[in-house]
Order: sequence, then C-alpha cells, then structure tokens
Amino acid sequence: MSITANDHALAAHGHHHQSFVSRWLMSTNHKDIGTLYITMAFIGACVGGTLSVIMRQQLMYPHSHIVANGDTWNAIITAHGLLMIFWFVMPALIGGMGNWFVPMMIGAPDMAFPRLNNMSFWFLAAGFVFVMLGLLLGSGTGAGWTLYPPLDNAQYSPGMATDFSLFSLHLAGISSLLGAINFIATILNMRAPGMTMHKMPLFCWAILVTAFLLLLAIPVLAGAVTMLIMDRNFGTSFFEPSGGGDPVLFQHLFWFFGHPEVYIMILPAFGIISHVVSTFSKKPVFGYLGMAYAMVIIGFVGFVVWAHHMFVSAISTDSKIYFEVATLIIAVPTGIKVFSWIATMWGGSIEFKTPMLWAMGFIFLFVIGGATGVVLANAGLDQELHNDYFLIAHFHYVLSMGAAFAIFAGFYYWIGKMSGHQYPEFWGKVHFWTFFIGVNLTFFPMHFLGLAGMPRRYPDYADAFAGWNYVSSIGSIISVVSTLVFFYVLVRVFSSKEKLADNYWGEGATTLEWAVPSPAPQHTFLEVPVIR
Amino acid sequence: MTRKGVFVARLAGWLAVMAVLMWHGGAAWAQSAPQDPAAAANAYVNAPHDWELWFPPAGSPMQAKIDWLMKYVLWIMAVVVGFVAILMAVVIFRFRARVNPKPSTTTHNTLLEVTWIVVPCLILVAIIIPSIDLIYYEADDTNPYMTVTVTGHQWYWEYKYDSVPGLDYTSYMIPDDQIKPGQIRRLSVDHPLVLPVGEKIRFVISSADVLHGFYLPSLGVQKYAIPGNTLTSWTIIRKPGTYYGQCNQICGLNHDAIPIEIKAVPLNDYIAWTKMALANYTENTVTPLLSSPMPRNQLADATR
Amino acid sequence: MSGTIHTATDQVKGTVPQPYHLVDPSIWPLIGATAAMVTFTGIILAAHLHEFVVLTIGGVLDVMVMFFWWRDVIREARTPGLHKVVTQMGLRYGMALFISSEVMFFVSFFWNYFNYFFFPDKMGTAFAPVWPPQGITTIDPFAIPLFNTMVLLLSGTTISWAHHALLEGDQKNLVRGLGITILLGLAFLCGQLWEYTHSPFPFYHGGIYPSSFFIATGFHGAHVIIGTLFLIVCFFRARAGQFTPERHFGFEAAAWYWHFVDVVWLFLFVCIYYLGRSAITAG
Repeated sequence: MSITANDHALAAHGHHHQSFVSRWLMSTNHKDIGTLYITMAFIGACVGGTLSVIMRQQLMYPHSHIVANGDTWNAIITAHGLLMIFWFVMPALIGGMGNWFVPMMIGAPDMAFPRLNNMSFWFLAAGFVFVMLGLLLGSGTGAGWTLYPPLDNAQYSPGMATDFSLFSLHLAGISSLLGAINFIATILNMRAPGMTMHKMPLFCWAILVTAFLLLLAIPVLAGAVTMLIMDRNFGTSFFEPSGGGDPVLFQHLFWFFGHPEVYIMILPAFGIISHVVSTFSKKPVFGYLGMAYAMVIIGFVGFVVWAHHMFVSAISTDSKIYFEVATLIIAVPTGIKVFSWIATMWGGSIEFKTPMLWAMGFIFLFVIGGATGVVLANAGLDQELHNDYFLIAHFHYVLSMGAAFAIFAGFYYWIGKMSGHQYPEFWGKVHFWTFFIGVNLTFFPMHFLGLAGMPRRYPDYADAFAGWNYVSSIGSIISVVSTLVFFYVLVRVFSSKEKLADNYWGEGATTLEWAVPSPAPQHTFLEVPVIR
Repeated sequence: MTRKGVFVARLAGWLAVMAVLMWHGGAAWAQSAPQDPAAAANAYVNAPHDWELWFPPAGSPMQAKIDWLMKYVLWIMAVVVGFVAILMAVVIFRFRARVNPKPSTTTHNTLLEVTWIVVPCLILVAIIIPSIDLIYYEADDTNPYMTVTVTGHQWYWEYKYDSVPGLDYTSYMIPDDQIKPGQIRRLSVDHPLVLPVGEKIRFVISSADVLHGFYLPSLGVQKYAIPGNTLTSWTIIRKPGTYYGQCNQICGLNHDAIPIEIKAVPLNDYIAWTKMALANYTENTVTPLLSSPMPRNQLADATR
Repeated sequence: MSGTIHTATDQVKGTVPQPYHLVDPSIWPLIGATAAMVTFTGIILAAHLHEFVVLTIGGVLDVMVMFFWWRDVIREARTPGLHKVVTQMGLRYGMALFISSEVMFFVSFFWNYFNYFFFPDKMGTAFAPVWPPQGITTIDPFAIPLFNTMVLLLSGTTISWAHHALLEGDQKNLVRGLGITILLGLAFLCGQLWEYTHSPFPFYHGGIYPSSFFIATGFHGAHVIIGTLFLIVCFFRARAGQFTPERHFGFEAAAWYWHFVDVVWLFLFVCIYYLGRSAITAG
C-alpha cells in the first residue's frame, strides 16, 4: 500500500533532526507527547507504588513504627490515592496510550490541537510537583484523596501542604480537561475519509466516552476544590458548619466528579482489552456495536450514581434506593462487555502471548471486583461495608488489577510499535504471573479484613486483624519483586537490537497502527488513508 | 503414647484452659468490684478474632438481616464469577491456537446478546427486592426505648443519654502501654457505652469538629458523624456482652485510636449503672469530661 | 470491523494528502504550565505569607503566554493554506467543548446555591432553616441587577448586529457594534463593582449566603472580564480588517463566549437575585 510505502520512506529518512529541547520541551507531536505522558505515569507509579509498599510494611504487623505518626500516615495514604489516579492510571491510559494510538487508529497525522496537547502534559507535570509538595511540606496533606472537609479546612489542616494538594487537583484537572477537548475534537473531526463512527476502533470509542466524562465531570471538581480553597484562605463558609456551610455538599460535588472518574480510569482499559483479545484470538471483536454503546451507556449512567459513595452520610432513604438501583443498572452494560470479550475468544485461535495473559487476567479479576461492586451497591449492606477493607479490596480489584492490568496489556501489546523493540516473551510472562500472584495475595485477604470490620486508613489495628494483614503485606512484597522483573523487561526492550515488522502480531491485528512501520515514524499518515 | 507425649498433651490442655480463662474471665477479674453494674457484659465478648473470614456474629437483628442479605447477594455473585471462570477455562482449553488453529468469524448472535442483557436484569431484580426491604428496615428508627446522642471529637467519643438528664461522658481508648489483661489493644476504652439488652436504642450521631464514622460492625450500624448535622441509626442488642466498633471516617492524627466499646447488660443492671454513672461520672456541668483531652502530642505519644 | 478484514491494510483503498494544520514546536505550552504553577504558588504564598511578588510574576507570565500563543494562532490563521476547512471546524469543536465545560463549572456553584435555596435545613442545626438566612438583607433585584440584565441583553443584540455586519462585509458597522458591546460589558462590570462595594453583607467571614452569592456572581464577573478582553482583541482585529465574511472564527468564538456569559447571568438574576431575595432588600 502506498501509505505504508510513504511511511517507510519517512522512517528511513529519520526524524527531521530536532534538538532535545525542541523535541521534548516544545513538542507538538502526539507520539512524543504520548511518550512524555507514559514517562510521567512511570514516575507517578514508582512514587505512588513506593508509598503503597511503605503502607503495607507499616501494616504488616500491629503496633508498627515504620511510619512516624498518624499525620505522616495520612499524608502517605492521601498522596498514594492522588498519585495512582491522576499521575499513573490517567496519564498511562489517556494521555499516554490515547495520545499515541487514537490519531493513528483513526488515520490522522496528529491531534487536533498539538500545542494544547503539549500544555496538557506540562500542566500534569506541574501538578506532580504540587502533589509532591502536598506530601512533603510540613506534616503533609492528611485528609485522604477524597479531601473531605472539615478535616482539610484551615482549622484542622492549617499548613500550606493542603493548599498545594488542592491546587495540584486544579492543575491535573486543567490538564485532563484540555486533553478531553483535544481528544473529542480529534475523534469527531479528524477521522480518515470513510471511517464512520461505527467503523472506528473500540479504543477510540473508549477514549471518546472518557473524554466526555472528563469534560463534564472535571469542572465540577474544579468548582468544589475552588470553594474549598476559598474556605481555607479567603474566609468563605461553603463547607464550614459554623458559617452555615454544609460539609455534605462537598461530598456530593466531589463524587459527582469522582464516580465518572472511576469510569474515566476503566473505560480506556476496556478499549485496550478489546483490541488485545481480538488480536490474540485472531477474531474480530464480537458484538462491536454493543461494545461501543455499552461504553456510552456506562458513561451516561455513571453520571447519575454518585451518591452511592455516601450511603452512610446524610442522604435520605428514597435517595438510597434510587442510587442503589441506578448503580446496579451499570452491571448490565458491564456484563455486555465481559460476555462479548468471552464471545470474542470463543471459537478463536488463541495465542497466549503476554498481552493476552494480562487481558485475560483483567477480565477475570475485573469480574471479581465487579461482583463485590454489586455487593457494595446495596445501600443496606453498605451500612456494614462502607469504608472498611472490603471496599478497599473491591476498588483495588477494579483498579490495581483492572486498570493496571490493562495498562500492562497495552504496554506489551504496543511497546514494539512505540519503541521498535519487542519485549522478551519469557520475562513478560514472569512479570505477569508474579504480579498476578502478588496483587491477589495483597488484595484478596482484604475482603476478610473488611468483613471482620477493619476500617480503612488505619496505621495500627486490633491484634486480631494481624493475620490477614501479614498475608497482604507478603503479597505486596511479591508485587515489588514483580515490578523489578518489569524493570528488567524495560532494560531488555531498550537494549534489544531486533527489528520488528509493521504488524508483528500478524493476522488479528487489524487497526491502522499496524499498517505503519515499527517503530512508528514521527509523522504517520501525512497521506491520509481512505477507508473502504 | 509416650510419657513425654502425655506431658506435652497435658501441658497444652492446661495452657488452653488458662488461655480461655484469661480471655473470657480476665475482664471480669480485672473489674471484679461487686458494685460494677455492667459486669454482666463481661460474660460474652464479640470482638474480631484471628483469621476471621466473615462478619462478626450478629449482635442485633439488623446485623442478622445484613448477614443474610450479604450471603444471598454474595452467593449470586459467586455463581456469576464461577460461570465466567468456567467460560474462561473452556476458552483457554478449547480455543488455544494449538487445539483450534482456524478461528471462526462469528461476530454476532442476536439471541445471545439479548440473553446477556435480560438475564443480568433478572438477577438485579432478584437482588434489589430484598435489598430495598433492608434499606427501609435500617431507616426505621421510630419508637425507641431510649436515645443516645453520640458526638465524635478529635479523638474521643462523647455519649449523652437523652433519657437520663445529666448523663454525658467521654470515652477514650486505653493507650497501648496501659492495656490490662482482658482488655483488647486498640478496642478497649476507659468508659464504655453501657446499653440495655433487648430494647430499641436510637443513636443520634454528630460531630464537634471533623467528620468521624460511628461504626459498629457486630451490630450492623454505621453512620458518619458530621458537624452541624445529625444522622440517626438504631439497634437492638440481643444478648448481654461486650461489642466493639471503631471510627470509620478519616479524622486526623489519631483516626485509628477512637474505638467504641459497648457493654450491653440486662435492663435492671443498666438502670443500676445509670445511677452509678450519674453519681460518679458527672461532677461537671459544661464540659462533660471524665478524662480530659490530652494535648495533641501527648496523646499521639500515648497511643502509639 | 467486518469479518472480511484480515490485516490492517485491507481496509485502506487509497490515500489523500492530509488536510490538517500540523503546528511547529512551540515553547508557549511549557511556559503556560509554568505560569499556572507560579500563579497558583503565588496564591498560596499570598494567602499564607501575604507575599504577593510570586503572584504578580505569575500573572504577568499568564498574560504574556496568552498574548504570544494567540498571536501565533492568529498569524497561522492568516497564513494561506494552514487553516483549511477541517482545521477551522476543529477550532469550532474546541470552543464549543470549552464552553460546555464552563457550563459545568458554573453548575457546581449553582449546585451549592440550590443546596441551601431548596434545603435551607442543610445550613446545619445551628441555623434557622430559612433562605436567605436570618439576618441577611439581600440586594434589591430591581435596582442594579435589573439594569445589568438589560445591559447584558442589549450587548447580546449589539454583538449580533456586529456579526450581521461582518457577514455582509460592512466593516464600519462591525467595528461600531463591537465597540458598543465592549462598552456595555464595561458598564456591566462597573455596575457589579458598585454592587459589590455597597453590598449589605460582607464577603469575608460573612457566612454561607455571601459565600454563595459572591462565588457565583464573582466567577461570572471574571468571565465577563475575559469575554470583554476577547471582544477588545476582536475589536482591534476588526479595525485591522482581519475578518472576512467567509472567515472570522475568532469573532464567532468571542460571540459564543459572550452569549454564554449572558445566559449564565440570566440564571444568576432569576435564581439568586430574584427568587432568592429577602423580604426587605437593600440597594
């Protein structure tokens, strides 16, 4: 094909010799910006993951002194939550892989607003500086990632750290918002001729729905955070009971953002899993339209279920029933996704390469996390389970195993396309199995701790909880070992001399990024493909 | 059995008996002053235990209902997870490239796609119906025998008995270094909440500073304590005993150090206890403090 | 995604030259993010240490970045062949989406307001459940607010006047319409300034009513300032003859933004000033 020939020519010519500063600090190239995002995600995951290891070490035995005191502990758990969400999962899935592959999949040479794209990244980097200041300044920000007032108001958290954490959300929020505008404009306006919405790859659908969620949810968070900053610094009373303010309002505003946020983290993962499952089953995705519109429905319903995070807060009985039922309804489109993945594999000719292992791990563990989600959606049960370790287990099953597994699936699936070097298959599998064992050992016992009544965000606990906490901490050590294996995989990837074909997965990988060379040249689709 | 074996077995048996005695009787011995009207609660301790796999034994009808619904929903979801696991296993073994070299090209099956929408909907209906029943049950705090106003503070609980004028006291965790035999580290408090058995008790929950969480897992009660706001919950404790709970909403430095200890006793003992408590607990008028709040840093040291 | 496609290239039947605008590397995004960081740090330092130097530097940087960035955009737009139809369409998407997100930003402030307007008991146990709260005298909606409503509605018509003139290639009326719109925007801001300086309730530690009132109207006012600046830029561009009946998206974006600001005001006027007025009003 001519597009391939043209891109090969470009690849042969190499990049047009940009300086380091021009290429990495002033970038207007979606692939370079995607790489910057993935680097950010790597740093965020390392810092946030290290914090989680500190937490698990503290909790390994009762009455530990690894963390100095409760304030330090609270700062660590807060930063762990914020970092993992805003500086790991989101930049990896949306900014990183979204930037790299959405334009390529729709046959566009770049994003709609390349400069804006770059600014989205730098806002995120600025936010990272702020969130680290929030962790390290004074006794840190200790209100949890949900930042509920009054604990983080000027009276109970007087230091600057909390302000830095709040502004870090502004910076990350602006980053996401600009990114969302960019993705929507790109996907709606820059699809190759002939690529109708209903021919568009599912990862692009996933990013499109995610971007709409960001567009509409982030500003509400911005409003809530602004009010909190005003309360702290400028004498207002939005959430101050002494002035007539309502702390519960913050919970509403936060979760109106926060619930779409969980779909923001998981929908791009859904997209990646669809591609990986289809590729390694050598079959087109089963029920493509159902898959696409299931994500649209999840995104839509995701906006009207927020108060299920507040079942034991100030919320009326009838609201509980509404929010419970609305929440449970999300199980139906999610079921469509899971069963369609299985149907895609059914009848396939499956090769269990590393990305496929991550994808299958994702599907199974996400179903477990989804099942406990159905349990937690019951307002009556939430009165027992709210905020205890059963909840922690639930959301780590959907995030630490859901989103993170999808990130690794995408990494192994696309690293050859991004770097031009293939990962070592054996070590990829070692990484998968050690991580699989590690995270399950870490998070499955948390179900038992929660049932037994252990609350979250505790640096020390009653001795009876020691057993399962010990097992969980062992699991986290295994995850650390697994991460070291991943570092080794990275070393191998970047020291590899192997040349890769355009489509190194062969039959089954049918999206447009497989029509260009590996590594993808700096500019792809300067000649836009016309789709049949 | 060898002589040595017999000795070891006897020693183990003796140790086991001692352990049981210390565990169950320790609290009673420690506070065996005959005038303690709350002593009946020491006979049964409902606390978390090692390697616990399930909810605590239900101490209230509400927790019994929660336990039932939990099992009901969890079994349904276990079947769903099991079903997915079976499908995945079939996929892994039947559709490996080696076993099935030629992939099918099927991408649609309308009946299948309708089925996996309809069946989950039916499952949800089966979950929602009993669940809504439980929500109404939990919300029904009418006609209580008595009301306790619970106020969260950094970092202690305050209990005010609305039906006993003047009875309003605070409850601090026993610091780790002052734990006596029979007390449970991180759960035992200086002045437990004493409640009558078999009566409907309404909790009016609020906070004096930041958010706290009033969480009693063995009784199925949990509500945020929100400053400027009051939430209500209720319980009926089935049998005399000691029940525990903890703060379950992050509240700062000592979030993990404000447990709730409840001593449930027969009604007569409860009434006797209120008289004792009124006489001993409330020599004050404004600040109802048995144990005054320690300075922040001192408390931090004492509890860590 | 149909079953007949086996490789990625199967679905491609040919190529066409790309019609988009691929921009050159630019330093403004990095400086823009730095400016935001300096500004936010400045706000924190100002609040905690009453140190305003950093905030000032941040503000200068913000303005500088906006100036140079948009200068680049305007230059590119005026370079033949860079902004083709599809790129112009992309800019429309971008502005429309940005305004949608702004709507959601105001939703949070209206949510805050309605939380107390509809459920005054949410002010907490220490307050009587009435809205506006006891002791608050609100601003008379039929004094300055009504005047300001008229001013903004009128400005909505004058910007349409300018737009129609532009479509007909009538530069004189375009400039005139824009100029009057700007003056009306400034008049509105003067009205708000007078209202704020004469408000019957204090902002600082004034409780929930002033908080809700000032954040909603204050952020609206900030948006009026931004919209007016946008219109002023368009005014000079119009005078320089940079808009043609066929291509004038900069003007359109400013007009969209102005209408958005206008609509937000109508909600503010009805919900906060009128429906939320106290029995006796001031001003």
